[in-house]
Amino acid sequence: MAEVLITLVKIIVIVFVFVLGVAGSMTLLGDRKQSARIQNRVGPNQAKFFGFSLLGFPHFIADGIKLVLKENIVPAQANKFLHTIAPALVFIPALIGWSVIPFMDHYCTGTVMTLPEHGYTEVCVDGEWKNYFSIMHMNSGVLFAFAIAAISVYGAAIAGWASNSKFSLLGGLRSSAQMISYEVAMGLSLAGALLIYGTLNINEMVRMQGNLLGDWLPMWGIVIQPLAFFLFLLAGLAETKRAPFDLPEGESEIVAGYLTEYTSMKFAMMQLAEYAATVFIAALVAVVFLGGWQMPWVYADGIRIFGNHWTPFGEEVWYYISIVLRIGAITFKILFLVWLQFMMRWTLPRFRYDQVMTLGWKILLPLSIANLFITAVIVTILA
Amino acid sequence: MPKVNINGTEIEVEKGTTILKAAAQAGFEVPHFCYHPALSIPANCRMCLVEVEGARSLEPACYSEVTDGMVVETKSERVIKAQKSVLEFILLNHPVDCPICDQAGECKLQDYYMAYDAQESRLRAEKNQKVKVFPIGPEVLYDGERCILCTRCIRFCEEITGTNELTIVQRGDSAEIRTFPGKELDNPYSVCTADICPVGALTSRDFRFKCRVWLLQSTDSVCTGCSNGCNIHLEHFRNEIQRYRPRYNPQVNDYWMCDAGRLSYKEVHTDRLLRPMSNGAALNWHGVTETASAKLARALDDDAGSFGFVVSPQASCEDLFLAKRFIEEVLGTDQLYLGGKPDGFEDDFLIKADKNPNRQGVKAVFGGLNDFGDVDKLIDDIESGAIKTLYMMETHLPADAETRQRFVDALDKLDLFVLQAQHCAELANQAHLALPACSHAETEGTFVNFDGLAQPFEQAFAPHGDSLPHWQIFMRLARAMGQPLTYTFVHQIRDEMFQASDADENGEPAEAQAE
Amino acid sequence: MGEVKTKPVERAEQGLWEKSYIPEILRGLSVTAGHFFRNISPRKSQRRIFTKNYPEEPTVYPERYRGLHRLMLRDDGQVRCVACMCCSTICPADCIHIEAGEHDDPSIEKYPAVFVIDELRCIVCGLCVEACPCDAIRMDSGRHIPPYTERNEAFFDRDLLMELGGLSQAKQGGDRTPAAAE
Ligand code: SF4
Ligand code: SF4
Ligand code: SF4
Ligand code: SF4
Ligand code: FES
Repeated sequence: MAEVLITLVKIIVIVFVFVLGVAGSMTLLGDRKQSARIQNRVGPNQAKFFGFSLLGFPHFIADGIKLVLKENIVPAQANKFLHTIAPALVFIPALIGWSVIPFMDHYCTGTVMTLPEHGYTEVCVDGEWKNYFSIMHMNSGVLFAFAIAAISVYGAAIAGWASNSKFSLLGGLRSSAQMISYEVAMGLSLAGALLIYGTLNINEMVRMQGNLLGDWLPMWGIVIQPLAFFLFLLAGLAETKRAPFDLPEGESEIVAGYLTEYTSMKFAMMQLAEYAATVFIAALVAVVFLGGWQMPWVYADGIRIFGNHWTPFGEEVWYYISIVLRIGAITFKILFLVWLQFMMRWTLPRFRYDQVMTLGWKILLPLSIANLFITAVIVTILA
Repeated sequence: MPKVNINGTEIEVEKGTTILKAAAQAGFEVPHFCYHPALSIPANCRMCLVEVEGARSLEPACYSEVTDGMVVETKSERVIKAQKSVLEFILLNHPVDCPICDQAGECKLQDYYMAYDAQESRLRAEKNQKVKVFPIGPEVLYDGERCILCTRCIRFCEEITGTNELTIVQRGDSAEIRTFPGKELDNPYSVCTADICPVGALTSRDFRFKCRVWLLQSTDSVCTGCSNGCNIHLEHFRNEIQRYRPRYNPQVNDYWMCDAGRLSYKEVHTDRLLRPMSNGAALNWHGVTETASAKLARALDDDAGSFGFVVSPQASCEDLFLAKRFIEEVLGTDQLYLGGKPDGFEDDFLIKADKNPNRQGVKAVFGGLNDFGDVDKLIDDIESGAIKTLYMMETHLPADAETRQRFVDALDKLDLFVLQAQHCAELANQAHLALPACSHAETEGTFVNFDGLAQPFEQAFAPHGDSLPHWQIFMRLARAMGQPLTYTFVHQIRDEMFQASDADENGEPAEAQAE
Repeated sequence: MGEVKTKPVERAEQGLWEKSYIPEILRGLSVTAGHFFRNISPRKSQRRIFTKNYPEEPTVYPERYRGLHRLMLRDDGQVRCVACMCCSTICPADCIHIEAGEHDDPSIEKYPAVFVIDELRCIVCGLCVEACPCDAIRMDSGRHIPPYTERNEAFFDRDLLMELGGLSQAKQGGDRTPAAAE
């Protein structure tokens, strides 16, 4: 019973508070305020709560209310069922993936000890690990995340087809082609990292990134797989279908792509799913390449650098401080990556579709294969 | 034949040609105000001065005839200086109220000023003031300040109409055009003076302030006022005819047309039947075609012998040709009557008594007028019951008011009355079926004038309301009644028609000379 | 059919550095990031935001701002316009409707009996002002075209346009002696 309750709390906190909070406010801050600042504007500030514009937050509420109140239009010739279910198919996978993202290491009921001689592994003495900080502890977490994320391809394709509009169909085709192409590069660039970590369990992967090279350099994914990091980030950007890869919605040629025939909350769901996907990609990059909840030199039993060990405030207190610090670390990393993706969006012009395909198949794919090959050779030799 | 050299161009011209005409043949424009090709040459405006080699002074090109070996300069410095001086003189007391002047846009003074003068006025004193808005005639207004005293208007009244109403009074810069005491500029052609007046001194009262001339679009057409068939520029703006202006055709009307004809455009925009109607209820063409064909077919089934058809000499030859085919092939009746307007005023110049533009066309298409019954016979036939179904083109009948009333009363006796017309008149309400036809401005076609001259006219704008050309209405009905007549363009009908008729296909007007 | 004229334009050469995109993307990112951080700087003077918060901070229109039309007046307060239609002819939006009328005074002769500008259709190009030979229409009222909720509120007729009007510096023709008018 307690298990179920804990899981429910986790779901609510992670999915509704964190993901939807971040994704939702991204629509506001990222798309409006951030772009405004980049372009020397102020952005939305006219809707107010009691005379305060609150960074434009009331606009977000107003938009939500407006979208809820809008008429829900289903084109006469559309396939009603599929047209209605498509937004859910896009939206739900973007949320399910979060079940395997760890926001912190498992909670140890005993004492945690870090073993520098064993690659700074943390072990739980006199107790057991309790999974409080990710919804689901899964041994094949990465595979699960990918499998779920892949479902959203169907959502876009079905939305495009079911709308019975040429623009929507083209948009749906474009988005499925683009997502499938980049999924290959994404998976292969990840494979290098997987070879090194030797596990599909995301929490394990993050734990392994606590290792310090030469006792000072955190062995994050970006350090041991720098090329894969770039490839993964790029492919992830393309996966989210946001600028500069927003060809499925290329306004100049296909109106709004597979979104063309959507209104009201269905439209909002599609949009929100894109933002949620942005945050999800950020989370994946963070856990695989940026050390997840790891904070350099901060361990559950104190601060360690150059072989020194120092535990401020005593072990008990420090453990809780480290938990807060680590949750703060992963949150910061995710937010930073989201910020970076939006920065890209407001910096780069949109690609041409053939350029998107060229980049995916002729550049990212060979590079990730080469990366995988070289990694494999090195891993074999070292083993 | 004398050879002249104009601005370096050698040209051989007829003996007795004026320099102005010779220059025009050589392709040089000589500006002129008082000269008009149809009028005598007073050479009073001096705008046309040109330099003739060997001559002491500049010569008026409009008046001087060429001699063999003459060398003429129309653009030398002396000429340019003279042109500037003449224009400066003319403009000395000119009010330059172009913004309120109806002539602006087609004013010779404006054009020449821009082309030959274009300098500021040096006059520093007050300008001379003369009459403005002077009602010189019932159709024409006079503005003394704009008049350049070229006397074109005076000569027109002397030489063309012979009515001699106008003269110049006073002298010098007080001179003005006036009518002789007790007279008005009131002759059947008075608005022609406004046409030939090179400036805005004489303007038409009807056209006054109605539309700026640069907004007008012009279509070559033929006046429908009488059977003379004067050639006109039909000038329209936003689907509305604003005025008629005579179009030069030496075979028909020269440069002129009558005032009544000029105003006949108003018919196009008054009392129009714009929607197909069945017993007073407006329908669309689809519905009315079905109803009409069903009713006509029933009438034919019941009693084909009691079917009458009124042909109108107001319709074009193409319309008549299809009417004929419709009558012969679809209706199969031979009880034909001739409509059209009653005869009216006539003179020995342009105006003809026959007020229908196309009586000769009816003759040509139907091979004579002997088969047609007149109005009395029509009324008698209706009253006696010999006619139970009447199909009428246009609303006009050559009858006085009393006879017309008899006709209208007799209509009650009909089983079916189909009216196919431009106007409602009092007949549209009586008609069981009223089919809107369009005017000559809204379609193209041919009129044959009293002289047997077939003259084409062009379409100016799209048909008003739901109206259609007569020929298209006949085609619709024929198709609905299962005997399609298929044409797509008017010229297909025209070609077929000319093969079948003996009318003189010579409607192309000669090139207008410089006015 | 004339020859199609072509002008070959050299493409800017791309070095390896540019072709590899990444450094250029980073350069672009540094520009946008520069703007971003400058404009969220707590010191407002550092920011380069040039947005005007319009209704709160009213804008002063420049002297030659083309605003709401106005019709100028004669010395005696009548409308200066003589209904010459120059403005409605030149108007690219075809939004000026004038019907000329006969004025009682023969020295004025023509005046606009109806003069309506559809300010919604107007594209504020100012050509009507340029075209007017009488300095009768101007756009220097200093007011912008107000927002409307109904289309016909945007039809500004003669009298409304004259309310904003003023006297022109231009001279209004010569005085007419009564004798000349007969
Ligand atoms: S006559 Fe000609 S120049 Fe004189 S006011 Fe009229 S348009 Fe202008
Ligand atoms: S009224 Fe016209 S035609 Fe007559 S003299 Fe004057 S300018 Fe010439
Ligand atoms: S400003 Fe331009 S669009 Fe507006 S009324 Fe004048 S001419 Fe027409
Ligand atoms: S251009 Fe001037 S005078 Fe002419 S109609 Fe327009 S406002 Fe009136
Ligand atoms: S003097 Fe020759 S045209 Fe008037």
